[in-house]
Amino acid sequence: MQNKRPEFVPDQAKWRIASAVAAVAGLFTLVLASLLIINYLQIRAADPLDHPELLKLREQLAASSENDEALVEQIRTLDLLVRKAFFTSQAQLRVGGRLLLAGAVVFLVAFRLAARWNPKAPSPGGAPDRLGYWRVLAQSRELITGVAIVLVLVTLTAAYMTPLGIPAPGVADESTEGTAETDTVPGGAAARVPTWEDMLSQWPSFRGPGGYGVAHFTTAPVKWDLQAGEGIRWNVEAPQGSFNSPVVWGSRLFLSGATEALREIYCYDTETGALLWRQALPAFAGTPETPPKVSEDTGYAAPTMAVHGDRAFAIYATADIACFDFEGRLVWGRNLGVPENHYGHASSLIAFGDKVYVQLDDSKQPRLLALDAATGDEVWAAGRKKISWASPACAPTPFGFQLLLASELDVDGYDPETGTLLWTQEGLDGEVAPSPTISGDVVFVGNEYAMATAVRLSGSNEAVHSEIIWQWEESLPEVASPTSSDDHFYIATSLGEIVCLDKNTGEEVWLHEFEQGFYSSPIRVGDRIYVADLKGTMQIFGTGREFELIAALDLGEPAYATPAYLDGRLYVRTEGRLMCIETDAAH
Amino acid sequence: MKLLKILPLVFAAVVAVGGLAWAEFRFPMPEFESGYEYPEMHTPFPGRTNDLWDVVLLAAALGLAAWFVLKRRSRPAVLGLTICSLAYFGFWREGCVCPVGSIQNVTEGILGLEVVPVAVLCFFLLPLIFALFFGRVFCAAVCPLGALQEVVAVRPVVLPRAVDRVLGLVPYLYLGLTILAVATGSGYLICQYDPFVGFFRLGASLNMFLAGGVLLVTGLFIGRPYCRFLCPYGVLLGWMSRFSKWHASITPRECIQCRLCEDACPYGAINVPTPDKAPLTAKEGARKLGVMLALAPLIVALGGLTGLLSHTMLARIHPTVQLAQRIAGEEAGLYEGMTIESEAFRAGAQTREELYAEAHAVRADFKWKSALFGAFLGLVVAVMLAGLSMAGRRDDYETDRQACVSCTRCFPYCPVEKDDVAVAEQKT
Repeated sequence: MQNKRPEFVPDQAKWRIASAVAAVAGLFTLVLASLLIINYLQIRAADPLDHPELLKLREQLAASSENDEALVEQIRTLDLLVRKAFFTSQAQLRVGGRLLLAGAVVFLVAFRLAARWNPKAPSPGGAPDRLGYWRVLAQSRELITGVAIVLVLVTLTAAYMTPLGIPAPGVADESTEGTAETDTVPGGAAARVPTWEDMLSQWPSFRGPGGYGVAHFTTAPVKWDLQAGEGIRWNVEAPQGSFNSPVVWGSRLFLSGATEALREIYCYDTETGALLWRQALPAFAGTPETPPKVSEDTGYAAPTMAVHGDRAFAIYATADIACFDFEGRLVWGRNLGVPENHYGHASSLIAFGDKVYVQLDDSKQPRLLALDAATGDEVWAAGRKKISWASPACAPTPFGFQLLLASELDVDGYDPETGTLLWTQEGLDGEVAPSPTISGDVVFVGNEYAMATAVRLSGSNEAVHSEIIWQWEESLPEVASPTSSDDHFYIATSLGEIVCLDKNTGEEVWLHEFEQGFYSSPIRVGDRIYVADLKGTMQIFGTGREFELIAALDLGEPAYATPAYLDGRLYVRTEGRLMCIETDAAH
Repeated sequence: MKLLKILPLVFAAVVAVGGLAWAEFRFPMPEFESGYEYPEMHTPFPGRTNDLWDVVLLAAALGLAAWFVLKRRSRPAVLGLTICSLAYFGFWREGCVCPVGSIQNVTEGILGLEVVPVAVLCFFLLPLIFALFFGRVFCAAVCPLGALQEVVAVRPVVLPRAVDRVLGLVPYLYLGLTILAVATGSGYLICQYDPFVGFFRLGASLNMFLAGGVLLVTGLFIGRPYCRFLCPYGVLLGWMSRFSKWHASITPRECIQCRLCEDACPYGAINVPTPDKAPLTAKEGARKLGVMLALAPLIVALGGLTGLLSHTMLARIHPTVQLAQRIAGEEAGLYEGMTIESEAFRAGAQTREELYAEAHAVRADFKWKSALFGAFLGLVVAVMLAGLSMAGRRDDYETDRQACVSCTRCFPYCPVEKDDVAVAEQKT
């Protein structure tokens, strides 16, 4: 086969025949296509399931109280008929399609032949337009530039005009059953990351900044009279049915509450005690319809919230975790997978840097999670050997900040940035609820039916070495977490004992027995220690080598939560009240 | 004559609409209360051939095409092979496996999302390798999509060169979108919007038929519109062909500047000789090029920024986002009734919250990938502008190696014979 030189000689007779064939084939396809379009539209309209007569009969059947066999038979017959009609039309459509294709092929061939027999010869004519070459290049540049600009403008306009139109993650739309409508922060705007210095002047988590039981301010009130209203700035009703402790940042105080069906966050004005807002969490992906079983004294909102900058974080027994801004708008929320935990999830949250940490103690897969505080995305996850009901601390050590966690077996130190396990020491046993504390380079944990253990850290930031320096097995905490001073550790037990132990030797410095036990954790405020007993008396005593009771002040009701200690103020949650106690305040 | 001019338009419209004949219908199966169990669905095995045999055939077809184009210089032979390829790779193999679509598999392989089957990898690489040595012989006579368009290109006209170049941006856009879709798990855009596979399989969605119909209509008068202005694989083939060792030339010997071939190429792939005198001095030209190159990073950055700002819109190509939007719209009362997808979703176990969360995660995934997509397009524009600012020297009529699909249409127009000694002497 070689190229045949084109001769460009018309053949009028053949061209006429080819044109005629092309015209007939074209007309044929045109008519056929019109018929097919009508058929197609009929099929689209005649959905067998939506046939009006059939629907009417079905409604009749549904309305009739008796089993009308005749009506059922009528429906069956009509159903069969409309389905037959549908499939017949579809078969016609297919046959018609093939005929159409054949018509198109004939047309195409005829049209090509017609073009061949009526050729258009090349006609270069005239001198080549050499300068036009540059003009075309310039035109091309201008056109490409213009099109690119238009493309950018059109894209940006289209992008601006086409929002996603999907509710933000973690926000149920209005029709979500069982959840309240929740405002969201558009786009989950990022907040400024608070520094450790920022945290020190707040009460951002359970047991204060860093969560190890030491207050930064030393000006907490030492006298008040609840009955007379002296020293009470405000006293309001607290959410019922949950045991978490207040957290405070600036002029906002947060508590969480939950029932089987509802998970809420409460935000109070620290100046007036006014409830500024309460927000219910929506159901997230994975939120169980039936909540997990929890014990009565744990409840669905045992974990204390964390507040960090202008974001507040809460977690519940369902492992629903949510981040709200100070205006009550949901920033993000998610379910972390319901933990299998026989008392119910109780570990509190703690935030540090740009992360919020979750000790998610599922008995099958206990783990420590670091979530991005801005988005809730998981940054890292570290496995744990055993579970506990204690809460993580994130404390300054001589070797940098460390996450300190207690489990039923051991006490561990993690790098908050990477989740690397820096050290671990076995020394715990039983069902551990008290959380760790620290004094200098010594970490201290304890639990009833186990031993209180002091672990000294040494080495360097890169290679932290740990060793148990002493253990104590006399009076041990069941619920309340210990606190520390420069020289001592302090234990508060459920039986009402307060034990002061020497930090370096473990020697019992003193032991004092109160009438009531302690669930609320002791907090060191300068050279004083505050701890509320189960009857509702705030015991205040000195940190010295001799026991010195400074005050025993009535809170009016049993207290299980740990108060927040700020500059000249004390925010206390008792069984049913939330109050602000302030030096020299009058109700 | 007038009739013949009008009829193609009518015909083409009819072909496009006639595609409705095979448009797919879906409706739920009948409900039985008698305990009847639906028969289990079976997917038939692809029994017509095996993929490795296709690879062998592809290699053979490519070899033949290269021989016909470069050695035999035979348009009839190339046309014959084109029809055979259309019959086998198109109608018999129903357009799959296809090198154009293989871009998606290879992208998945590069991103570590899926393992690329050997046959698919061969389909991706073989035409590119051949293009690197012999030009776009795959487009000339092997690609079923190109073949279909070649067959219907009855009265192709030459587009203005500037328009041709601007439309040449679209394949890059399509290529970028395709890769973005694969990288974000949005699916195989090329397969979803393959305009001709519906004809090969005699069955497709209405949109596919319409797209194919429109392209065939256009293809009657504007040669190979898909190849030139859409095909993402053509972009890669063009890059390879630009540096091909051997490439189809209009004349077998030396150009005698007869200009008979000037309008022979309906695909705008013949470069004319450059004028002797440039409108700018070398210094001015260099300065202009320098400005263009200096602007390039800005153009790329602008593209990236546009992509970044458009990521929400681009995320709509993802089926999860589409479904979430539909569901959210239905909940808000924006739509009446349900689509099959939304009905299936509502019958499933996934909650709306889960779907919305998934959709938002998809959108987040689009963010930087969209920026990269935009930057890629910015780079293409910058390179195009820089290329148009460079003055090359050309004395004869030559094929544009990147654009030329080696269809051999121009060969018969050249009066120079392969062994035409007289002409050679005359030229000398």
